[in-house]
Amino acid sequence: MDRAQEIVKQDERTVEKTHELYEATPAVDIYENDNEILLHADMPGVVKENISVDIDNGKLSISGVRKLKTEGAATYTEFSDVEFVRSFSVPQTIDVEKVEAELKNGVLKLHLPKSEAAKPRQIEIKTA
Amino acid sequence: MFTRFGDIDRLFGTMNLLQRKLDNLYGAYGRPSGYKWELESAVPKTNLYEHGDNFEIKAEVPGLEKNNLNVKIQGNYLEISGERRSDAPEGYKTHKTERGVGSFSRSFTLPADVDSTKVKATLKDGVLYLTLPKHEAAKPKKISIN
Repeated sequence: MDRAQEIVKQDERTVEKTHELYEATPAVDIYENDNEILLHADMPGVVKENISVDIDNGKLSISGVRKLKTEGAATYTEFSDVEFVRSFSVPQTIDVEKVEAELKNGVLKLHLPKSEAAKPRQIEIKTA
Repeated sequence: MFTRFGDIDRLFGTMNLLQRKLDNLYGAYGRPSGYKWELESAVPKTNLYEHGDNFEIKAEVPGLEKNNLNVKIQGNYLEISGERRSDAPEGYKTHKTERGVGSFSRSFTLPADVDSTKVKATLKDGVLYLTLPKHEAAKPKKISIN
């Protein structure tokens, strides 16, 4: 076997992972009250099936892939298929089991409820 | 040594990936990259396609309801306007607002006249889809040869 063939053979074994989609950072609003942290993220054109929300060890990552069907020749384009990616640090006091997500009109709304122990408690003052 | 075209393709693939990383780095590090709805330039991003007898328009309008949007057409003049209202919940403390609110108006001159009576508009997942049939005179015609 000559050297050129060897190179070809090796290349076929190495699988390169490249992101096909352009990555974009979605704009996000964050709100908080005593019970939960609420996160709104703009993800126009993303369908429910293509969204993933992961919470692991205090890190929240959201990702949404947009794949729009296009027909005909493009006269001009200002946006394209994209992967919306963003991650946040969340306090460990978030009750991961009860996290809820809803998607409406291209906006992802994520409810992150605080666990009972983390909620502020009103302490009654007793007079002696 | 390149032994196949596939190798050259792979080389360019790697270069494109690097270029994209650099674009991301210098463009807007840590900020929303081009998907922020800014008040100063509050216009939705729009794509225009030409598809046989129709023009197809797609516009990003996240968070807008049907009744927040207006589409006006006259000849080859198209105007999309609307307003994005705040969806901040009551009784919450605000930590971060990047998404912005406000009204916008954007107008386009299409490459040809459209039949305004047959225009279809759909709003789905925060994207506005418009199908604009071309006016008779602007449609592609097949010429038969005698």
